[in-house]
Amino acid sequence: MMPIDRRSFLQIAGAVPLGFGLRGSGSLVPGGDDRVLLVVELVGGNDGLNTVIPVDDERYAKLRPKLAVVRKGAHALGDGTALHPALHRLAGHVAAGRGAVVHGVGYPRPDRSHFRSRDIWHTADPSHTRVQTGTTGWLGRSADQLSGKTAGFPAAAVGALEVPLALRARRANVPSLRRVEDFQWLQARASEPIVAADPMRAVVAATSPQARDDLRTFVGETGSAAVGLADDLAATLARYRPRAVYPETQLGRDLQLAARLCIAGFGARLLHTGFPGFDTHARQLPAHAGLLAQLDEALDALLQDLVAHGAADRVTVLVHSEFGRRVAENASQGTDHGAAAPVFAWLGSIRGGPHGPVPDLGRLDDGDLIASCDFRSVYADVLRWLELDATSVLGGDFGSAGLVAASVR
Amino acid sequence: MNDLLVPYEATSDDPFDLRKVGHLVRRAGFGASLRTRRDLVRKGPAAAVAHVVATATPGGDAEAEHLEAVLAFDDLQRVRSHRVWLALQDDRSLQQRLTGFWHGHFATSNRKVEDPRAMALQMATFDRLGAGAFDELLAAVCRDPAMLRWLDNDTNTARHPNENFARELFELFTLGRGNYGEQDIREAARCFTGWHVRDGRFHFQPHLHDTGTKTVFGATAAMGGERVLELVVARPESARFLATKLLRCFVHPEPEPAEVEAVAAAYEANGRRIGAVLAILLRSRLFFSRRAYRSKVKSPADLVLGTVRALGAFAAPTELAAAMASMGESWLEPPSVEGWHGERAWLSPAAWLLRSNFVADLLARRRGKLRPGPAALFAGLDTVRDRCRAATLLLLDGDVPPAALAALERVANAQERAGADPDTAAAALLHATSCLPEYQLS
Repeated sequence: MMPIDRRSFLQIAGAVPLGFGLRGSGSLVPGGDDRVLLVVELVGGNDGLNTVIPVDDERYAKLRPKLAVVRKGAHALGDGTALHPALHRLAGHVAAGRGAVVHGVGYPRPDRSHFRSRDIWHTADPSHTRVQTGTTGWLGRSADQLSGKTAGFPAAAVGALEVPLALRARRANVPSLRRVEDFQWLQARASEPIVAADPMRAVVAATSPQARDDLRTFVGETGSAAVGLADDLAATLARYRPRAVYPETQLGRDLQLAARLCIAGFGARLLHTGFPGFDTHARQLPAHAGLLAQLDEALDALLQDLVAHGAADRVTVLVHSEFGRRVAENASQGTDHGAAAPVFAWLGSIRGGPHGPVPDLGRLDDGDLIASCDFRSVYADVLRWLELDATSVLGGDFGSAGLVAASVR
Repeated sequence: MNDLLVPYEATSDDPFDLRKVGHLVRRAGFGASLRTRRDLVRKGPAAAVAHVVATATPGGDAEAEHLEAVLAFDDLQRVRSHRVWLALQDDRSLQQRLTGFWHGHFATSNRKVEDPRAMALQMATFDRLGAGAFDELLAAVCRDPAMLRWLDNDTNTARHPNENFARELFELFTLGRGNYGEQDIREAARCFTGWHVRDGRFHFQPHLHDTGTKTVFGATAAMGGERVLELVVARPESARFLATKLLRCFVHPEPEPAEVEAVAAAYEANGRRIGAVLAILLRSRLFFSRRAYRSKVKSPADLVLGTVRALGAFAAPTELAAAMASMGESWLEPPSVEGWHGERAWLSPAAWLLRSNFVADLLARRRGKLRPGPAALFAGLDTVRDRCRAATLLLLDGDVPPAALAALERVANAQERAGADPDTAAAALLHATSCLPEYQLS
């Protein structure tokens, strides 16, 4: 189908009068070529060592007598490490060159507090101590670079109740999208959305022309933007048909919503979603296997969907956690908070396969893996791929993790 | 005391009408029905404010029994629903507004505490002491098990002191940034060593307490935490810090220095009793000024609970709590120790949609119900104009700009032309009224 531009589409669909709800110049072409980054955060501290297993290292089984059982059925990556058995679909994507694993990612002076370490990954600032009014996230700062260039919403949180710190911006308006239904503007009787011609629309910004202050103007503008958001989403949804079967899990739903936004060209170029549950202090084997199985199924559906829609080149998915876990297992068949851990990247222009040295179990920092890659170099790679100013977003030049192939546009 | 806190008196230019009462019930509680608001108008300012102030200290033992039942379940949802239920009780309005204020001020989250009973008990402490002397409230909060866990003081020992508690005590709870030194924090942390928790209760561990000499704010002694608290509430910065926060909550998001000085002075002059300060503040010209009126953005709780009361709707507290959480205000789980930033931060486009859809859901009976249906609210009103005016009285105290009234009339006329039944037309009109910019403001 010939791609049509968004304005024409909406005029044809009669969804919205021209000009209403459209903000700035649009790059909302169905199948258009704007690059999108989706960050999937595994919340709780994913046990990297049992996700990307150093199968050739004898010390691994010595330090994890019970937990090392996952070596059986693990999927070799070719460098002496292997993916947890539950990740069989994702292993297939890695083998096909669509997935990359960066070993040992972390930051100096690791913090083992969930809150602080998550905040550090979100702000891209290892010296961060407390969230304050002006604190912004790395994706939020990226959104600020984009706002004005992209129509509507440069970034969105998917599946979250509150917008995570990573997406906190100075200027850009970042919505949190949980369910598709939340973002229709509903009528007070029927369950249908409020249509274009409805006089309700004039109400949302109806304030006196001599409004005393900008508070009422702000509220009116927010209302208008809200109605515009609902329109954009309705148009977006109309354009998307899934080309993969997503599991009926929260993660499955969140990733499908993310796919809809990527594929149907909602305009958001920075997406973030969280997948909780990884704080496996006790009885890790079944819990971790369950989580990784969910990740495998849902992420595989997302990747398939993106590939089938021809969007594989313009979407990069980054998967990370706030820290890994201690090398030695604890007395409850689990693991405690650790430090360095692997990061995964999929699609886009990533260079597939494993990156970086296999974690050295002989050289530990107080029982924890030492990072061989600063997470900001991974961020820098994807920011450059997004054609953003990485140095400005990250507050410095952190080099490259070699994750992204030189881009040909 | 300067002019600002002089009592407001009604004049023909500045009458004590539904707008004034609407402002009072929104700020000093979570809204009220039209009938209650009209009753308060008839009382006049002095009696109306006195009535509201009395709700800061409701009596009765029914509360204690209810609390026992809540604690027995040890479930966060139930604790939260209980708090929402309390916030809907007319006889506790100011108490609950104050507890909301203290919850945001001493922001503690169950995400880390992981103990619904402890959270329920912390809220009960705010209920009991929130309108009393700040010294007493602060002393109780510093022994509160949820708080000690939240700020890691339950692991603060002489050998391994933890400064988190002392830092937040000074920075966020009493003085504000820049009004203490790093040395004060370090020394204060030593004073609070051994302030731990055992079996869900405060337990002082003498053998873990640092018994040495400390110097805090220039005072040197082998002091404990109690002395630090005495020293900190006596500092003038403490009065100003609290005054600023109270003004932000009850009057205007950006208080002026003269306002802060006036309230700080009233606070010190009244034994640091919050209830006494509020009795003065809520009666004052400042409170009823144009500057204060509709100067704040409604929080999710303001919007959800205020709408339920204005419409006379019935809805399960759990549902209302869920609605508030989806809009970003999850009671008992503030996003950080700074609480909720609020004001414009509440209003993203996505949040606006959630707020609008919440009202639509109520009117459509998708969430809760109106009994009888919405048409009953307009019984006997035959013209579109009359119905529109009634809608604005119900939801906006009749105070809307002409452009807004005109927009509502167009909605109502469209409903008539479409031959809508009375309930549908009434619901559409009320929903439209709630979509006016003014409705997002407190």
